[in-house]
Amino acid sequence: MAGRGTIQLRSGEDIILRVENLVQEFPVGRDRVVHAVSDVSFDLRKGETLGIVGESGCGKSTTARAIVQLPPPTSGRVVLDPSSENEIDLTRLSGHDLRNARPRLQMIFQDPISSLNPRRRVKDIVSEGLEIWSDGDIGTEGRERVEEVLHAVGIDPVVAASHRPHQFSGGQCQRISIARALTVNPEILICDEPVSALDVSVQAKILNLLEDMKARYELSLVFISHDLSVVRNVSDRVVVMYLGKICEVGGADRLYDAPAHPYTRALLASAPEPAQSVGVADAVLGDDLPSPTDPPSGCRFRTRCPLAIDRCATEEPLMQEIDEDHFVACHLPST
Amino acid sequence: MTGRQAPLLSVRDLKVVFPTPIGMVHAVDGVSFDLEAGQSMGIVGESGSGKTVTAKTLMNLLPSYALVDGSVNFDGRDLRALAAERKTEKHLWGVEISMVFQDPMTSLNPVKKVGEQIAESVRYHLGQTRTAARRQAGDLLEQVGIPEPGRRLDEYPHQLSGGLRQRVVIAAALACEPRILIADEPTTSLDVTVQKHILDLLDDLRTARGMAMILVTHDLGVVKGRTDEVMVMYAGRTMEEASTEAVFSQQGHPYTEALIETIPKINSASHTRLVPIPGQPPVTTSPPTGCPFADRCRYATDLCVAQGPPLTALGNGHHVACHTPVRTPAAETALAANAARGHTATGLEIHQSGVPIGAVTGGLGEQT
Ligand SMILES: Nc1ncnc2c1ncn2[C@@H]1O[C@H](COP(=O)(O)OP(=O)(O)OP(=O)(O)O)[C@@H](O)[C@H]1O
Ligand SMILES: Nc1ncnc2c1ncn2[C@@H]1O[C@H](COP(=O)(O)OP(=O)(O)OP(=O)(O)O)[C@@H](O)[C@H]1O
Ligand code: SF4
Ligand SMILES: [Mg+2]
Ligand SMILES: [Mg+2]
Repeated sequence: MAGRGTIQLRSGEDIILRVENLVQEFPVGRDRVVHAVSDVSFDLRKGETLGIVGESGCGKSTTARAIVQLPPPTSGRVVLDPSSENEIDLTRLSGHDLRNARPRLQMIFQDPISSLNPRRRVKDIVSEGLEIWSDGDIGTEGRERVEEVLHAVGIDPVVAASHRPHQFSGGQCQRISIARALTVNPEILICDEPVSALDVSVQAKILNLLEDMKARYELSLVFISHDLSVVRNVSDRVVVMYLGKICEVGGADRLYDAPAHPYTRALLASAPEPAQSVGVADAVLGDDLPSPTDPPSGCRFRTRCPLAIDRCATEEPLMQEIDEDHFVACHLPST
Repeated sequence: MTGRQAPLLSVRDLKVVFPTPIGMVHAVDGVSFDLEAGQSMGIVGESGSGKTVTAKTLMNLLPSYALVDGSVNFDGRDLRALAAERKTEKHLWGVEISMVFQDPMTSLNPVKKVGEQIAESVRYHLGQTRTAARRQAGDLLEQVGIPEPGRRLDEYPHQLSGGLRQRVVIAAALACEPRILIADEPTTSLDVTVQKHILDLLDDLRTARGMAMILVTHDLGVVKGRTDEVMVMYAGRTMEEASTEAVFSQQGHPYTEALIETIPKINSASHTRLVPIPGQPPVTTSPPTGCPFADRCRYATDLCVAQGPPLTALGNGHHVACHTPVRTPAAETALAANAARGHTATGLEIHQSGVPIGAVTGGLGEQT
């Protein structure tokens, strides 16, 4: 895995986002570099939910932030409408043009409470995105939009006008973050662990809400989580990441029912209720995650891989299509 | 000896009330359970159901203003009386009964080397010398599966990954050979892979040491196939207590059933609609006279509103606090009646299929 290649990219007019050869490196100390994301490519179709799973530190959040250029990636392209003549490469935009393009992509974070300004009233928080465009007065149309969106996520606009975030529960705060993202009418919603901080019963409500909002506002979603069951539930397509690289990409059900990469198999076997497609023998992962400042040569997974052979240390596996729309970067994929 | 031995831990009708500016918070409202030596028990329930307060009561960690009632017996000793005396028992809590908390960062001192933190407790409680305590700290790190334990002794918590930190906390909790280990959400902030290692480690240690364990979690998936028994808590009360197997295969409480339905399943097809539990837990300042789950329950009848159901034995150590346990004829009758009239006795709207409307629509307009 730790695989290279772009064969997993699709063509077609309905591809609205394409991430190509994305690299994000952070210098640390004098001469060390964190290879947080190393040559990652994927795309998002209109109306699709793309799930990204992987262990802590594999680069999920860094990828999400690089898409919205916070900060812009070290290299690679992030292209909106890649099949159209007016494709926009966000990495080449700056200032005014970037600000114009940004509302098309909105982000929702794990911790709903700390991502909302505690001093502002909830209704003002939800209006924030619109205020940027209107010097403070969002106008009648803006106010109607805010009411409409608040109602859609199940927050009473009257209560929102007088209450501040700490007066709401965690689940309600996540509804408020979703409303704030929706007011600017985005096309793509990037959700980084949106339900990880929530209780199981609240989690189900927020996941259903995201599905409903996706249909109602014709959104496309990038959904990041380390919870494998949650990712399968919401996703049409899933990307599995390991140490800054992509291991496997495929349709959600296909990938869970016939995982081909040893890492995907190990993840699915480690879940509290393991996937039916794998056995206990697949659960092999120890705590020994290599450092992203000094990733292993060849396949980055080889130090924890039960199948590794000499070739895995010298040659990085290329992403290959092992079945229709099912891609894996491994020298020895299961089939 | 004849007959059954007394359980290692026996909790009877435990009540914990916190006086607060908004009223008396009934955090634990009459909980009873037994734990045998070497046995493992899961305590499961939504946020605020009283899991941590129950655990802290056993650990004598409640704030002094908490009003406690009921009895806690550990190995023939009355823990509440001992707690009230506040003297001789410095070698009970943290020694015979020990606890691991959710966030390893809050239970580790950030400016102290991990070796010292473990050695400290061994020296204090067991009176060991500095050298012996350090050696034991190294042994403990090895037992909890920390590679290169000798080197790790001299590291600070921030130099360790989340999984290693939690292992250190477990090592510290095990230092004095506890007979009961309470783990409160020990893996909630960790990756699935690390979670599996920590839970497997706890299982192994428990078996090897014949230790009893209480595993507290809001996620039923964590206890599945792991603990011997499960107690499901809601609004400070025990809703169901049974073998872990029975909780999943023949759960008797509608709340347990609802909790299981609400979790996404790794083996269910993508976009399977989730069934949330409608509404939210009752305010603990004014516990309802009837069943605390009635407002959210699809089976609720007039009896549920009028009278709190007692915890009743169904046989095989299976206890349920419900007037119409799931899969009994009474439950089927109640559900059919509610579905037919479109709502339950508490006014919860019910779909013809018997599923609450709020759950089907995703709870739009609901104050989650
Ligand atoms: N600004 C930064 N400076 C240095 N290193 C960073 C920075 N941001 C992220 N990293 C490192 O990059 C790697 C990827 O981090 P990232 O936050 O993207 O992981 P993640 O997959 O989102 O993990 P988690 O599940 O814990 O959220 C990690 O090793 C992290 O420590
Ligand atoms: N020191 C305290 N003072 C006042 N109320 C408290 C105190 N500690 C806990 N409570 C209240 O007691 C109830 C039970 O809390 P507890 O922490 O046991 O819940 P829990 O089941 O552990 O939930 P979670 O899953 O969120 O950890 C809650 O309503 C909580 O707000
Ligand atoms: S078999 Fe080789 S290429 Fe495949 S995952 Fe293992 S180490 Fe990587
Ligand atoms: Mg992250
Ligand atoms: Mg708790």
